[in-house]
Amino acid sequence: MAVFLRDLLRYRAEFRIGVALVAAVLLLSVLASFSPYPPDSVYVVPPDLPPSLTYWFGTTSRGQDVFWQLSFAIRNTLLFGGTVALVSRLVALAVGLISGYKGGWLDRVLMSVNDTFIVIPLLPILVLFYFVMRDRISWLMLALIMACFGWAYDARLIRSVVMSLRQREFTQTSLFSGMSTRQILTEEHLPYVMPILFSTTMNNMVWSIGLEVTLAVLGFTDINTPTIGGMIYWANQHTAMVAGIWWWIAFPTITVIMAFIGLFLLAVSVNAHIDPRSRLWSVGGAS
Amino acid sequence: MNGLLLDVREVSKTFTRGGLLSRETIVAVNKVSFQLAVGRPEILAIIGESGSGKTTLARMILNTETPTSGRLLLDGTDLAAISGSGSRRAFMHKVQPIFQNPFESFNPLKRVERYLLMTRRRFSGTAEESTAAAAVDAALHKVGLSLKEVSDRYPHELSGGQLQRVAIARALLAEPKLIVADEPVSMIDASLRMSIVNLFKTLRDDLGISIIYVTHDLATAYYISDRIMIMQKGSVVESGDARTVLKAPRHPYTQQLREAVLLPEVSDPAANVTHGINGPISPAAPERTT
Amino acid sequence: MHADAEQPQRDQDAQPLLSVRDLQAYYQTSHAGVRRGIRAVDGVSFAVRRGEIYGLAGESSSGKTTLIKSIAGAIRPPLEIVGGSMEFAFLPGYGGLHRAPPAELERIRWRHLSYIMQGSMNVLNPVRRVRSSFVDFAYPHIGGSRRRFEQQVIAHLARVKLDPSVLAAFPHELSGGMRQRAALALATICRPGFIIADEPTTALDVVVQKEVLGMLRGIQRETGSSVLFVTHDMGVHAHITDRLAIMYAGRLVEEAATTEIFGNPLHPYTRHLISSLPRIGDDAPRQGLGGAPPNLADPPSGCRFHPRCPLAREICRREIPVMGESAPGHRVACFAVNQGERA
Repeated sequence: MAVFLRDLLRYRAEFRIGVALVAAVLLLSVLASFSPYPPDSVYVVPPDLPPSLTYWFGTTSRGQDVFWQLSFAIRNTLLFGGTVALVSRLVALAVGLISGYKGGWLDRVLMSVNDTFIVIPLLPILVLFYFVMRDRISWLMLALIMACFGWAYDARLIRSVVMSLRQREFTQTSLFSGMSTRQILTEEHLPYVMPILFSTTMNNMVWSIGLEVTLAVLGFTDINTPTIGGMIYWANQHTAMVAGIWWWIAFPTITVIMAFIGLFLLAVSVNAHIDPRSRLWSVGGAS
Repeated sequence: MNGLLLDVREVSKTFTRGGLLSRETIVAVNKVSFQLAVGRPEILAIIGESGSGKTTLARMILNTETPTSGRLLLDGTDLAAISGSGSRRAFMHKVQPIFQNPFESFNPLKRVERYLLMTRRRFSGTAEESTAAAAVDAALHKVGLSLKEVSDRYPHELSGGQLQRVAIARALLAEPKLIVADEPVSMIDASLRMSIVNLFKTLRDDLGISIIYVTHDLATAYYISDRIMIMQKGSVVESGDARTVLKAPRHPYTQQLREAVLLPEVSDPAANVTHGINGPISPAAPERTT
Repeated sequence: MHADAEQPQRDQDAQPLLSVRDLQAYYQTSHAGVRRGIRAVDGVSFAVRRGEIYGLAGESSSGKTTLIKSIAGAIRPPLEIVGGSMEFAFLPGYGGLHRAPPAELERIRWRHLSYIMQGSMNVLNPVRRVRSSFVDFAYPHIGGSRRRFEQQVIAHLARVKLDPSVLAAFPHELSGGMRQRAALALATICRPGFIIADEPTTALDVVVQKEVLGMLRGIQRETGSSVLFVTHDMGVHAHITDRLAIMYAGRLVEEAATTEIFGNPLHPYTRHLISSLPRIGDDAPRQGLGGAPPNLADPPSGCRFHPRCPLAREICRREIPVMGESAPGHRVACFAVNQGERA
């Protein structure tokens, strides 16, 4: 994995740009810890000031400093995306590895569950959840719900890789060397799955952040926790664009786009860098 | 204990393929029976062309494929009764595989000694590192290598011949009674092939290991095996003493195979072209597409 | 131009169809500023005469695949032609297909030069019917009306015992043997002067293999094409080739008429190759060759076979043996043999 990342840094310009963009966004989110104002306080600074040396990104109509508010927002948004990605990766990995290696009835059961999650339309379900739960919905709960829907496609991808690995002779050698199933999966097969896991993590974060922003802009989330979508929601509530407070919308939008492009470039460059043979597996080319 | 190391009783294997509407059943192995005796190590060659079911049969003996019908008994134990890690390990202690492609036999991302040490640890019962290394070295010496030559090496750093030797050494570390080798030399270069083939003879004569040698190559089968079984479309069409069967094949299919072997000598170049098309061509029996 | 294939010696004076001179083809990689060369083909010279099947035998690291790629003009980095030339009689003056302009290549492909590969899927387009492969490759060279062309194709398919219905089939619907026969028909329908056959029967079962080889031989005799036939299988060479060259570690070590190679092999490597082959009915023990095939990134000095050679001596370590004619038409590159000292 270390060699893999080093080669990526050395040979792929997209990867370097992606790393730079994601690092910039991460830095901004880390700064939240040094904010002079608590995230949920309003009217702590004069409202509606354009960007200046004192207020770098200007201030909002609610009397918040856009820079510090943005730093909280992007931290929460990334945390949200990261949680969804982490939880869904764990599920995808477990289901993909077991289903691909064990095969038989277990595979059929897991894959029918898997396919159910693939076909269920997500957005209506999330809106439904919001109307049922109303104020009790927290970002963690939303993250877990989205994680439930975010693993299925990638579990299939991992399963197809493991299925073809299982056919390869070295899996038999491992088996006849006395390795347990757990050992074969974690020591022999996981290294082949890692690059895929890495690139799908990026894609998954882009997907979940995008969905969260959509929900937040529509007001279907906990709007009191500052997120990128939440900021845009409040800006819309105060008709910021009409009032000429463009910085209230522009900076969150730019930040989230930077995060998107950064993560996307990472995913794309890793995908392109993966061994061509495993690329073939990922589309199910090898049987 | 019935005095049989391996008792294959009427095993069949059918595969179904296709979707819900057009299911197709393929009989890969059709009621095959044969025995290997305890205490009388021998090399049994299973010969067949692609699609003959020889590899499926080998997989059933290795218990990586379960028969649709029939039974396989190893040392009196029914393979179908093996479940749980304990009995699985006991089975692998008796039977070990060798595969066709030496470059695929080991994980390209891992060092090869890993498999040797792992096999030793799992099947010897002792966990001591120093004796494990010594045992691995001893096994490698049996195949003409040494631990020094393979330690810290990845598969791509060794030649095909070396890797196949390592694969054999690994199998030996489990101290098996039976080795199932599926086309073990078909991907080995000609100059190295005979040393691997001779190694199988040594395993039989010096270590008392029985070998099931699965191949399409009649010449090497003649060279090393004691008994052979000719398979065609899942069924055994002829079997018996290797020399008798190959020198005087009785079944038409065996005769056809025997005649198709291209001898490495030029007897009469003009006589080579038995299928030559010199005269007018009569499309009497052209092959049709299916 | 119906060549007399039974007596290839008679054509000796004729101008060769392909002459390869001192070819050097290296895989050049530049990794972190360090240039490394894998000398896959290193100083190979030979000529293929009109109307003969010229065999090329070698193991996996012998460089025979690289040699074929070079002759076929399939040269892409990191492979580079470092030196030497490959001259086809029908494409004079370029010194290799890779130097010829695309228009010239278009003109000679299939008409003068065709290929039969191990996986015929490379030639037959997997998503199109067999008919379209014939139309794409052969029709531009044959011309005339489509009806007459189709009749010609059907007549030619009959030569390889294929029913016209294969034209309507997709390659995957055919068995391996039928596919390879279709590829053979495609390669020979324009009656090309030169056919490159790269392990054309390796993936086939023995019975089918013998049949396909017989067909190739039959058509070759009829059209008088020259064939460069590459395989590692000595049995196949014995069966089909007129002359045979043995390649080891990027160089030719011996070349002679096939009967001569099998009847009187001179190079220690050739002798080993032939004597180690098991034969049905022969119970004599066979020995493998010691040592490992050489690493072409760092080949042994002098004669590349010397670390494994039973006849190796001091000079073999220092100097590269050249191909010398030990008897008319029998060339061998070995100090021990060329100086008349044989074990």
